[in-house]
Amino acid sequence: MIWQTLYDNLPFLMHGTWVALQLLAALLALGLVLGLTLALGQVYGPWPARLGGWAFERVFRGVPAVVLLLLFYYGVTDFVALSSFLAAVLALGLRSAAYQSQIFRGAIQSVPAGQMQAARAIGMGRWQAIRTIVLPQAARHAIGPWTNEFSSELKATSLAYVIGVVELTRQAKYIVSNTQGNILIVFGVVALIYFIVNRLGNAVLYRVEARLAVPGFERRSP
Amino acid sequence: MLKHLSAAGVVSVVSMAVATPALAQDGDPLVAGVEAAFPPWAYVEDGAYKGIAIDAMRAIAEDQGLTVEFKDLPWPSLIPALAKGRIDLLVTGLNVTEARAKVLDFSIPWWENDDEVLVAADSDHNVVTALCCGATVGAQGGATQYEWLQANLVDRDVDVTLRAYEDYITAVEDLGTGRLDAVVTSTDTAEELIDKGRPIRIVGTIQQNQPQALAVQEGDPKGLLAQLNAGIVNISESGQWAEIVKTYSPQASIRPIPTTMPDYVDSYQTPIPGYTP
Repeated sequence: MIWQTLYDNLPFLMHGTWVALQLLAALLALGLVLGLTLALGQVYGPWPARLGGWAFERVFRGVPAVVLLLLFYYGVTDFVALSSFLAAVLALGLRSAAYQSQIFRGAIQSVPAGQMQAARAIGMGRWQAIRTIVLPQAARHAIGPWTNEFSSELKATSLAYVIGVVELTRQAKYIVSNTQGNILIVFGVVALIYFIVNRLGNAVLYRVEARLAVPGFERRSP
Repeated sequence: MLKHLSAAGVVSVVSMAVATPALAQDGDPLVAGVEAAFPPWAYVEDGAYKGIAIDAMRAIAEDQGLTVEFKDLPWPSLIPALAKGRIDLLVTGLNVTEARAKVLDFSIPWWENDDEVLVAADSDHNVVTALCCGATVGAQGGATQYEWLQANLVDRDVDVTLRAYEDYITAVEDLGTGRLDAVVTSTDTAEELIDKGRPIRIVGTIQQNQPQALAVQEGDPKGLLAQLNAGIVNISESGQWAEIVKTYSPQASIRPIPTTMPDYVDSYQTPIPGYTP
């Protein structure tokens, strides 16, 4: 009977998955843009940029995701009207920016310093060298660790229901409460859905990583 | 928005959660916070909001010419969301308590509950052994049942271990595994659980005459209480209320509205807006 219920509710579970994916895409995009900016500031910027990036990263890596969600939904919305979804994008996106900034900082610093000196020696400007020499390599080095960030943020979207985002986990909760039980089966199916999405996302990212690997650098064994 | 709700299930539930609310013809709709995992009061089935509180709120809105849309938030978030004004009113099986009366204003109470002592169907506990002598008892954390057990058993040195659960479903699951000897829930929850075939039975009732009501922000800044109270009285007199309750909870006994109105609730001091005894 629960299997029939699950089958009937599949469209809603899929819709919850779709909401989770939209949240994931938005928060990763915010984290990517801001994280890359922070990383560049931390490596090449003047001391205020380095200090600011460091402080941002410490704060957002040091506060639990659920607490951030509640802070943004109940705190920030005193000043700006935000929907549940936008509050979740901001809370999780800024947190992701903190993590991504460290992925990008590491990737930028993995490009040997000699390359920058060589670029400057042949007359390139600093920004031009960053853009055309360092970043294209750093971005490729970053794909591996970024795969991990993708996985952890996918899982973090399951927390957004606490501020009213009806994503996959919340849809599952609806089924559990309607049938007054079946917790193991319902959340087992939900776990499988998260697993599949995660595995598919990782498979794509691994392909991209292998495809774009910097020649001569050590590669992930298949 | 109301029409959309019943018509297109998925879209409405999701659009309410994701998008900022669409404007109704006559200004912003009221946002009614619900915990949509709490049958028979409020739940989501086939993508649409259902339950006693949902249907009754729709009937009240229609009666009073209000536009209401529902917003699902987990139970622990509802009262803070109301206090912060993220929702305009709280519509769920909300118990009237003294502590809550200090942070929000209650409508006239439309329901009254007792508490039930539940044990596993195959357990040989009776009402006494289930709540003493080394028993482990579960209740929903922050709920009135939990507070009652704490104040009346634990604080009075009765030999029980009290455990808090996020919801009563996991608590009842733990009855099955033997981690708990008893679970205390409200009457309507207990009946709902048994109705859905959980392997449990009621060994005793704790008479509480616990009223339930809608709630608005403290001080009623949006001036909703008069319309809510009038609407509750009207749907009760028209028989709509009884019909809605019977739809979702056929075995429930319907008590006259308003039910018990405790003295500690400031919004029950006369004159009560929209209600004359």
